[in-house]
Amino acid sequence: MVWRSVVGAVLVMVMLSACYSGGGPKHSIDGGGGPAMLAGAPAVSFDVPSLGGGTDSLAAHRGSIVLMNFWATWCPPCKEEMPALEQLYRANRSRGLVVLGIDQGESAATAGAFARSHGVTFPILVDADQQYASSYVSIGLPTTVIVGRDGHVVRGIDGAQTLAQFQAVVGPLLAAK
Amino acid sequence: MSSRITAIVLALLAIGLTVAQDVAPARDWYHSWQYIALLALAIVVMFGYAWSARGGADGVAGRRFALGIAGAIATAVAGLLSGLIGPDTVTVVGTPGTVTPVPDLGVAAFFAPADPASLARGDAGITLRRRGDGPVDVGTQPTPVGLSIVFTQLRPAAYVVARDSHGNRLTVTQPNNPSFLSPVMLFRQQQQIRDKTFPMDTFATPAEQRIARILYFSAADLAAFRHGLPGAANQAGAVLSIADDAGNARGLTIAASGMPVNVAGLNLTITLGTYPVLVIASAPQPIVMLGGIVIFVLGCAWALVPTKRVQAEPGVLAPQ
Repeated sequence: MVWRSVVGAVLVMVMLSACYSGGGPKHSIDGGGGPAMLAGAPAVSFDVPSLGGGTDSLAAHRGSIVLMNFWATWCPPCKEEMPALEQLYRANRSRGLVVLGIDQGESAATAGAFARSHGVTFPILVDADQQYASSYVSIGLPTTVIVGRDGHVVRGIDGAQTLAQFQAVVGPLLAAK
Repeated sequence: MSSRITAIVLALLAIGLTVAQDVAPARDWYHSWQYIALLALAIVVMFGYAWSARGGADGVAGRRFALGIAGAIATAVAGLLSGLIGPDTVTVVGTPGTVTPVPDLGVAAFFAPADPASLARGDAGITLRRRGDGPVDVGTQPTPVGLSIVFTQLRPAAYVVARDSHGNRLTVTQPNNPSFLSPVMLFRQQQQIRDKTFPMDTFATPAEQRIARILYFSAADLAAFRHGLPGAANQAGAVLSIADDAGNARGLTIAASGMPVNVAGLNLTITLGTYPVLVIASAPQPIVMLGGIVIFVLGCAWALVPTKRVQAEPGVLAPQ
């Protein structure tokens, strides 16, 4: 009788082992995937120099709808997108929208000259170490990340957007109090 | 008696082979037919002994010892199944500062941000987070997470700072990698030169239309053909070959870690060091494995307890 119990226990263990050792990762994983996969994740922040003086960061604007745009002066689509960002900022800053243009990997002088020549008035941050674009898994430039009032990523967008596309994403967020 | 010794030896061997998956995880051998066959053979022989011993073929002690063998069989089966149907080892390569979901483990892997100093020290870490659980810092020592074993392996890495001829910073991109805008090269590729294989990666500086191929040379490799690189004694270095956007070669140089070099119109500072990757390996089901070991130990101990002998009372059984 005791032996039947022992054999039974062994069989149960065998079946448990088979179940537990079964499913699992079968492929190598290489980090990436683009900014779209970050929706809903806590938005990370880094203190970086601002063209306006001192330092600035995403965290400093917690409580606002923040549109972060990662760009660089050598990037043609970034240049094409700048007027739409400027219009979006001017039209919605009074409603609580913060636009942060975060230059990736360049010097303040380079970014500043570009901002002046393109009439940019929204805050420009200079992320020479490319911390923002790297952490937000940018797969190209420009990349836009929209962060909600709760500090979580609402949406990550790869590639240049039009004013209408920006409005379509930001409008409902600003309307929701 | 000899069959009991054989069973003990096989039980210890099977337990050792199974526990090895936890102690020295992520070996291909655990998924090989030799490993599987060895454990299967041990299980069959142990089962044969236990079956006969339970019927008293090896005496009272053997009957008790068979219980311990049953525990060893359970442990061996856990090891066998892990090796047979457990997933192959997975290596997760994450860009510094990013979060990589590992859905099959139900965790998110947080790869610590890196700067030149942390790369040179090699102390960047990986933290696993599971919803509802506390964070688990993963190091080079194997750590059980769920039904797997996880640990980090340090791999060569390089932090690239690029400047133009005026000293202005340049954006560094990695067109061939998922970490497009990271200045940290993780040497995902390899290149063979003669009979040696070197870690390799590529990066670009779009503002200057330059594409660089970077090869990681260890201190020993570099010493083999170094010709008085300033500050490069006994440290790793990088071989850089630069081309323009059209693919025309523009320059070739060797850079010592942390020392700026000028090549093809670029001023490059390459800081070499290490950055961890996350290794996930299958492991025997821990409850079955440990439970089997405990039963084995208890069974062996029970077998060593002297058995009571029933002695006849002279007055009762003595012939009249």
